[in-house]
Amino acid sequence: MIGADDVSTILSSAVRLTVPLAFAACGEYLAERAGAMNISVEAMMLGAAFGSIATASATGSATTGLVAGVLIGLLIGLVHGNLSHRLEIDTFVAGLVLNALVLGLTGYLITISDFDSHQVSQVSVPWLRDIPLIGPPLFVERWPVYLLVVIVPLTWWLVERSRWGLELRAVGERPRAADVTGIRVNARRRQALLWCGALAGLGGAYLAVGEVGSFNQNMTAGRGYIVVAAVIFGGWRLGRTLLGCAIFGLADAMRLALPALGLELNAQLLIAAPYLLALLAMLLLANRRREPGALGRPFERGSP
Amino acid sequence: MREDEQAGEPSPVPVPALRLRGVSKSYGPVAACDAVDLDVYRGEIHGLLGENGAGKSTLMKILLGLVRRDAGTVLRDDEPVDIGSPRQAAALGIGMVHQHFSLIDPLTVWENVVLGDTGRIDRSAARDQVLEISRRYGLPVDPLARVAGLSAGERQRVELIKCLRGDPSVLILDEPTSVLTRAESAELFGVLRRAVRSESRAVILISHKLDEITAATDRVTVLRGGKVVFRSATARTGPRELARWMVGREVSLGAEAAVGLLPGTYGSAAGEAGPGRAAMAETGPEAGGSATGEAGPAKATMTEIRTEEIGTDEAARGVQDPPPPVLRLRGLTLTVDGVPVLSGLDLDVAPGEIVGLYGVEGNGQSSLGDLLSGLFAPDSGTVEISGRPVDLKRPGALHAAGLGIVPEDRHGSGLVPDMSVAANLVMKSLDAVSGRVFLDRKRTHALARRLVAEFGIVTPSTDTPVRDLSGGNRQRVVLARELSARPAVLVVAQPSRGLDVGAIEDMHRRLRDVASEGMAVLLISTELEEVMTLASRIAVISSGRITGVLSGGEVTAERLGTLVGGATA
Amino acid sequence: MREIPSGSGQGPSGRLLALLTAGPGASGWKTGLVTVAGVAVALALSSLLIAVTGGSPLDSVRALFQGSVADSTAWTSTLLYAAPLLLVAVGACVSARSGVFNIGQEGQVLVGALFAAWVGLRLAVTGPALLVVVLTVAALAGGAWAGLSSLMYRLRGVNIVVSTLLMTFVAQQLVAFAVNTPWLLQETRIGDAVVAPQSNPLPPGALLGSIGEYPDLQVNGGLLIAVTGAAIIATAITRTRWGFRLTMLGLNPVAARHAGVRADALGGAALAVSGAFAGLAGAVLLTSPVGVHRLQPGMAMNIGWDGLLVALVARNRPGPAVAVALLFGALRSGGGFLAATGVPSVVVDVVKALLVLAFVAPPAVIAVLRRRGSGVRTARDGHGAVPVAERTAL
Repeated sequence: MIGADDVSTILSSAVRLTVPLAFAACGEYLAERAGAMNISVEAMMLGAAFGSIATASATGSATTGLVAGVLIGLLIGLVHGNLSHRLEIDTFVAGLVLNALVLGLTGYLITISDFDSHQVSQVSVPWLRDIPLIGPPLFVERWPVYLLVVIVPLTWWLVERSRWGLELRAVGERPRAADVTGIRVNARRRQALLWCGALAGLGGAYLAVGEVGSFNQNMTAGRGYIVVAAVIFGGWRLGRTLLGCAIFGLADAMRLALPALGLELNAQLLIAAPYLLALLAMLLLANRRREPGALGRPFERGSP
Repeated sequence: MREDEQAGEPSPVPVPALRLRGVSKSYGPVAACDAVDLDVYRGEIHGLLGENGAGKSTLMKILLGLVRRDAGTVLRDDEPVDIGSPRQAAALGIGMVHQHFSLIDPLTVWENVVLGDTGRIDRSAARDQVLEISRRYGLPVDPLARVAGLSAGERQRVELIKCLRGDPSVLILDEPTSVLTRAESAELFGVLRRAVRSESRAVILISHKLDEITAATDRVTVLRGGKVVFRSATARTGPRELARWMVGREVSLGAEAAVGLLPGTYGSAAGEAGPGRAAMAETGPEAGGSATGEAGPAKATMTEIRTEEIGTDEAARGVQDPPPPVLRLRGLTLTVDGVPVLSGLDLDVAPGEIVGLYGVEGNGQSSLGDLLSGLFAPDSGTVEISGRPVDLKRPGALHAAGLGIVPEDRHGSGLVPDMSVAANLVMKSLDAVSGRVFLDRKRTHALARRLVAEFGIVTPSTDTPVRDLSGGNRQRVVLARELSARPAVLVVAQPSRGLDVGAIEDMHRRLRDVASEGMAVLLISTELEEVMTLASRIAVISSGRITGVLSGGEVTAERLGTLVGGATA
Repeated sequence: MREIPSGSGQGPSGRLLALLTAGPGASGWKTGLVTVAGVAVALALSSLLIAVTGGSPLDSVRALFQGSVADSTAWTSTLLYAAPLLLVAVGACVSARSGVFNIGQEGQVLVGALFAAWVGLRLAVTGPALLVVVLTVAALAGGAWAGLSSLMYRLRGVNIVVSTLLMTFVAQQLVAFAVNTPWLLQETRIGDAVVAPQSNPLPPGALLGSIGEYPDLQVNGGLLIAVTGAAIIATAITRTRWGFRLTMLGLNPVAARHAGVRADALGGAALAVSGAFAGLAGAVLLTSPVGVHRLQPGMAMNIGWDGLLVALVARNRPGPAVAVALLFGALRSGGGFLAATGVPSVVVDVVKALLVLAFVAPPAVIAVLRRRGSGVRTARDGHGAVPVAERTAL
């Protein structure tokens, strides 16, 4: 029998597993609305995870580590932006190379490093934490989780209400028309990748100094790709994208929790579940009519 | 005493909002604008009439600050100005609504309107502004609607609002009714009248459509070859006269072969030999070129005579049925982004004739060319080759049915620039140079060498990538490839574009040769000279459909101009 | 004879595709020069990394050398790694040429190995016939796995890059499942021994042995298969109708359609072929002495990813891919010796990634410089409306 406590534990676990995805998803969502499809999210998250632990270990402060992670994500976003939207290297190739580079680099550095474990502090909201079932998952968490409360609406507002967002959307739908109006297409895409890098970095950093407390090789294990799938699954709408992240997070949490609860479900199926769900979601629910018109297509002034 | 003197003075002449004096611009040896004088007054709608190459676009680019004039002055309200950039043009109160919209479909109307601004977005202010302008000028549009769902007319309203926002004193509209229905056009003219009268603005209406000019403008200036050839108050002239001025040309030696005027040039019925034919040259395009219209009545008589003669000749031979068309286009219709591009286009091309499809750019020729290249299927309509309908959705079906096409160069659909000359020459006829699996290098190169020699393609070797060839030679590669497949019908789209005189003449010669050998040729061109030189029949395309087909003596500057201008024959 | 340039990536204009993947001869000495400079920078950065983290670059190079090409044993190892790398790379060349970017090779390798193990352990056939069947089945399985992505694209327009990627993770779990399930492929329990998550070893009839007799050096049959595969694909691309159409499709899909190429079918076929080669690589990994002849979850050892990188460095041409596969094989083999010098072998991954960058960036840089130099009309003047490039003539 699964008791209320168990459900609560699973939900807490789900929230914690969703949060890194959610941060990164806010970033990738914005990038894709601007037409910049970006598979280097994995590199951003992984690099940030490593950087945050390394910095936290060096400075003794997990929060500094968190900031460092964001900066590293930003750096990777800067590199990718320039490789793909200035040098015009195919965005998938650039993403692939960055992923390989960061994987190798972090894998190498971790084997010769010895970091202390650091974790950001936990926040426990009085009164609200005592609500049965959803109290602990929502109101007893490490403090960076609550950044989402600001970041999600901020991302939405940036894309849908700000001038920068209007131009990003124009650039993602019909870059040629945007160019005519005087908007600098590739510059906007590079900026979008900076935002994506910062947020994916936050996601990766949270994974390291928020949840786990340390770094191990390839600790993101493909989460970056899940995020890309989530944006597609979410039909390029932020709400549905985050819902997708939540579903994947929940699947992950279930996988960890079920054996402990005595339920025997196939381990591999559970591990594969998020990826299968992502594929299924893209197959069944992806609304191609909502896809930004110029997604993944490079922009060259003067070409047809 | 003084008051008396003042009372006796005539009222001052109004200062034109925009005045051009001797404005010239050349690109190399070609004069795009040649000493153009133009006056546009507040409160008037001024029509600028002319065909491709007349100089309208360049003139507008000068006014918008995109291009610097070589000579002449531009005055705004009698002040000489120098328009160095689009920003300056906007600051001077010159605004333009382009022929091709640059709207972003998934965004809303108000978002599209404010897209070019800087600074914070004020949603309600933008909405209100759109509503206000919309109300003021009678351009009903919902600011919150997505552009994707709007019709062509509504989209144009959005573009107009974008322009009117800047409070321009001189408003330029480029071919505005090319995408509109009759009703929408009438509405547009009403809007313009209001803007112009009640707010003392000036409007320049660029067009090649005669009905538009006559219906909407107060005064009209006709450009031809970069020069102003005619100027009048619209009320004092009419479509026929305007057509003559728009199209009129010098008759050159080449033009005598136009439209079947030389004996025995083509095998088509319209081009049959006749003794009195040469004299028809006089009734050709230049007849209306003189300053007065007195050639009118005499011309009509001559045409009658000629028609009789034709009839006699035919009767003498016995009635000859024209050969069945090899290419038959019926009811081709296509709408792109809400804009109707082809509207029920019908056309026949018979073997051995060259049909010139003539019209001002932007009337559907490019889309027709793309369609015949097999790049997409129309919304409705059929293409029949040698009597059999072609499945336009299947890649390569047109080629298999016997249609060869030399597409408009800019599309890049005819060639793969990074592949070699030899590869491009054989890419549609792999059967000839390969077995079932393997390409035969020897045969490929032999074929390539033969075609290179036959068509005079200048290239270091057959392995040179095509992108390294000149424009003319690239054209030759495509032509060679298409002709080597011995098609039943050959379509050539804008063949002269980007070519030098020698290459053009070469191309024309080949086309005549293949036509005389029995191939049906469809020549899509915006160059009247070219069409007149080659075609035995001229079909005029306007707004996505054929407005009329002229052959033989029917081709006069006036009729041509009228058809080009949008009237149906 | 001039080789027709190849294409890679999804979507970009044919011009850029060609530049990205053309060899030095095709796009001029400038690209070659910049590439050499790039490689030098890559090596310098790697050495710096090693030095800064307390290792000795010189010792590292020596170790790499020793582990890869110093003696016959080293060479054997290098060649053993090179074979599956080359197979994956050749497949990647095919899909890249058609304009499709397949990055799911790692998963296709695993699926190939999975089906190879299944057939190898289950089928009651003996001798070399079994090996042939095993290899064939692996290729078909890999091709089908890639074909699933193709299907998803055809049916619902699912992005191929993302789907091949996600399928990799599914493949990993599929293999893990198979070797953890007794009635599937898990090894048989012997007495009270602990059962490991791996399959039984393949019977001798299903193993790829060495070819030829060389003192101390073993040249595995897998290498022969790989090199033959590279030759076949190179020939197919440059000499067959199919290859011609493939190249057209990758360089200029519009012209290809105009010339009658059925883009969907051809693209799908290219993707399947690419998966088939990856699957074959999986079978080679299983049946050659690289591993222990057992299906294990980690047996792909990133060969799939590396093979993709090999193709990128070789600019998607099967010929150069042979040399690059040897290089990457050497790096992998030599990497094993690095640990003795105190430098973790993972640094080799960094070197590989930097090398790819060194080969991929220069053509793009040249292209940009060329366009800036020719003074493309950059009509923008910062702010203010810039009218559309008008289609109306003078």
